[in-house]
Amino acid sequence: MSLLDSLAAGFALVGNFEAFFMLFCGLVIGVVAGAIPGLSATMAVALTLPFTFAMTPINAILLLLGVYKGGIFGGSIPAILIKTPGTPASSATILDGHPMAERGEAGRALGMALYASCTADAVSNLALILFAGWLASFALNFGPPEFFALILFSLTIIAGVSGESLLRGALSALAGLLLATVGLDLVYGTNRFTFGDPNMMGGLNFIAVLIGLFAIPEIIAMAWNPVAHLGRTRALGKSRCTFADYARSFKSIIRGSMIGVFLGSIPGIGAAPAAFLSYSEARRTSKNKANFGKGEIEGVAASEAGNNGVAGATLIPLLALGVPGDVITAIIIGAFMVHGLQPGPMMFILNVDIIYGLFIGLIVSSVFLLVVGSVAIRGFRFVADVPKRILMPGVLILCIYGVFAVNNNIFDVGVMFVMGWLGYIMMRNRIPAAPFLIAFILGPLLEDNFRQSMLMSGSDPSILFRGPITWFFWFLTCLTVFAITRSTLRKKVPLS
Amino acid sequence: MSEKSLHLRLGIIVSLFALFLVFYAIPSFVFAPSNVRNIILSPVFWPYVLAGLTGTIGLGLVFNALTSAPDTPFDDEESVHPEGSAPWMRLAALAVIMVLVMFGLPRLGMVWTAMLAFAACAFLFRTRHPIVAVICAVVVPLLLYAFFAHVAGVAIPQGNFVRLP
Amino acid sequence: MKLRTLGSAIAVGVGVMAGAAMAEYPERPINMIIPYGAGGATDISARTIAEPLGTAVGQALVMANVTGAGGATGSVAVQNAKPDGYTMLFARVGSHSVNPAMKATLPYTLDDFRFVTVYEINPVACAVRPDSGIESMDDLIAKVNEGGVSYSSSGVGSLLHLAGAMVLKEFGVENPLEQATHIPQKGGGEAATAVLNGTATFICTNSSALANFVANNQLKPLMVTTQDPVEGFDVPTANDLGKPRLNQLVGWTGIAGPDGLPDDVAAIWGEWMATATQDAKFRETMESVGSVITLMSPDEANAFIEEQYNTFKALVDELGMRVEG
Repeated sequence: MSLLDSLAAGFALVGNFEAFFMLFCGLVIGVVAGAIPGLSATMAVALTLPFTFAMTPINAILLLLGVYKGGIFGGSIPAILIKTPGTPASSATILDGHPMAERGEAGRALGMALYASCTADAVSNLALILFAGWLASFALNFGPPEFFALILFSLTIIAGVSGESLLRGALSALAGLLLATVGLDLVYGTNRFTFGDPNMMGGLNFIAVLIGLFAIPEIIAMAWNPVAHLGRTRALGKSRCTFADYARSFKSIIRGSMIGVFLGSIPGIGAAPAAFLSYSEARRTSKNKANFGKGEIEGVAASEAGNNGVAGATLIPLLALGVPGDVITAIIIGAFMVHGLQPGPMMFILNVDIIYGLFIGLIVSSVFLLVVGSVAIRGFRFVADVPKRILMPGVLILCIYGVFAVNNNIFDVGVMFVMGWLGYIMMRNRIPAAPFLIAFILGPLLEDNFRQSMLMSGSDPSILFRGPITWFFWFLTCLTVFAITRSTLRKKVPLS
Repeated sequence: MSEKSLHLRLGIIVSLFALFLVFYAIPSFVFAPSNVRNIILSPVFWPYVLAGLTGTIGLGLVFNALTSAPDTPFDDEESVHPEGSAPWMRLAALAVIMVLVMFGLPRLGMVWTAMLAFAACAFLFRTRHPIVAVICAVVVPLLLYAFFAHVAGVAIPQGNFVRLP
Repeated sequence: MKLRTLGSAIAVGVGVMAGAAMAEYPERPINMIIPYGAGGATDISARTIAEPLGTAVGQALVMANVTGAGGATGSVAVQNAKPDGYTMLFARVGSHSVNPAMKATLPYTLDDFRFVTVYEINPVACAVRPDSGIESMDDLIAKVNEGGVSYSSSGVGSLLHLAGAMVLKEFGVENPLEQATHIPQKGGGEAATAVLNGTATFICTNSSALANFVANNQLKPLMVTTQDPVEGFDVPTANDLGKPRLNQLVGWTGIAGPDGLPDDVAAIWGEWMATATQDAKFRETMESVGSVITLMSPDEANAFIEEQYNTFKALVDELGMRVEG
């Protein structure tokens, strides 16, 4: 079948009102669910799944993809407005988005988040359509040693989000690495720091840690000084994201999208590291470097481009190999299988109409996201006008409900509170929270891949340098460490 | 506070914590089976590496404090708090609220606990709109309950006393 | 308006409370705990049965994923719940026969639960990469004896972990733990990927997790552990290969309550399941992902799990796979 035939077959499949309506519904569900902390994109997709059993395959999958994409964008809304990431992927958006909201520029930050998301989404979808086969076979070259090198490199992001002191950033990262060791050991299944509590055996819930670290310290700070915010102009201005803003951040958005596509096509990394990597790259190359972390619009653009770039790209391993790239695509694979479809190379031959139907739907989804997103922003941004002393208890309650809902476990609410106090102590001691979070995500991946490599090679460390991919990331790591060291020594400032 | 004194304080605490990890926490709380063939595969290997790095950072902070860190106070530091000990009392009260929430969730149910917590926090923050706060305290948890329980299908804890439909 | 809704809500709540003592089970929604993550085999199975089951029960079933520690976190939640039939568990082979057999530190035993049914059996298949040069189980065993063979699993104490060792042992490998390396991954999807990208040599897991890769010629199946052939897997069964003991090695999903579950509750669950598993759509969906619908009564389910547990326990003790500490 030629490309045109395939396209026509795809059109025939999605060229009806119902398919687009499902996609639209999915986006609406996703944006709303993403905007509710704890009810992340993952949960929204999982909850929608049973409803899709009765639909035709293409409608079912478009609905789920809509929820997925909407959810990843929706997460940035509470991240900006109330410093509570709705979904882990939007935690990098907090770094600059929330300071902007504090300054009365919530509208501008949200607008930029939306435009960056849509652009990245489009780039990511294009990458999926054009390079799926190639990227997927490349991703299959990633075994544990390659992952180890990639994650080691990703840990250098910490330098980019450490803020005023690299030493305190490193301290924060170490705390995250240590906390991530809680749970059952991967290779031997023994307990590590679980104190015999079955709730700790699964490790600390990531979302509980995330929300505890970012949202709860704000509430505690409110108790410390309930009138601290009064002098500031927080009320939501009519501020909007201008075309000039977009043009200025365009390079960062494209770079972020590329990073997202690359990390998204490799199964097992996920959107949060992509957002942080994109953010730290934008900061490294920006002229306004000093302004990052204090409300720089380019920071918002970069993080949102990074996480939305992942959303289309995780479909690359899914469609081309049948391998889920993250938890969400694992659920979507379930939907494929329930409908008797078997994602993988054969699907491009057997069900080419569905593949092209999906491609068409995906392209349309970027446009729909723009529409749904603008409406959502208009609806949500007035949260910034709620008196802060009413808003904060509300945020606390929302976090309690949300964190409970993630795993239906009251223990996680306790984890969130404890992490909140830890986060507050860190805040008072000027220790940044972002490195903690990155380390908490990447730490277990680093350790597991290291040990898997050692198992593969019978404890021969040379496997960590086994091929061009590992060399490439080792080289990047050395280069980055060298650059960080040099700039620290030259300026004498950032280290201290 | 200046960077010098902050780093000195952090450095000492972190170094002591590293020692605590190496000599007490890791040996007692990380279990390694006896048949581990190679030390780098052992479950204790990574925690020890991290403890070592923690110690290094701690010493680095102390070293930095003693050599190059400036001894000028941070410019955005809040000066002496005008209220004396009141902020500390509020922090303690918030901590108590959180403990009570943990206690109340399985017994009272999430909705009722959340209402009490909302009201307590709003008054702890000395809101200027007490009536609005009380209304929100009742309505917000109910709305969230309706959403989570009936739209998202989450099993919100109901407690032993009054169940919501 | 809002106040009136609230008032009636409270009134209904109080009414429900007052009626609690005399009303017939079930008079309110039942919490169904799924101890594994969304999108996994247990989750799909649970959410598919939920619809016909909810109709049979006549009350809402609230599905709750409580994940962590290979199913232990969710299982403990049910173990500690009141045995009133309002908190039930979707138990799985990993959480309720492999884990108890392998882990000394597990906070529960089989005796802490009362099974009301097992409704689904998942055949286990072993597979390798097509370009590995391994065409049959004999090739695989020959390769194991040469050394350098590894197998992937979704973690310590998972069915996959035990399955790899058990299959090798049955095929005459003296000490599978020494002669083949176990490379644990973070989940079932990752375990299959590990074979796909050459990290591990082979994998033994539920056929449903492999069907996709087999259909796409990305993985080559070597055998299935059931007595009967499995659709889509054109390979010998364990019985063809003369290893009928491997029939024990199957996945299953069942429903369990806390130990003190009253007899009448267990009995009525048996009836509900009999109705629910007749549902055509349920059967169709489950069979499309490679499951075999087999309904067991509470007694059959207990006997089945007990037997599987004892087989696994004996193997674990023989090989020294037990996890202490």
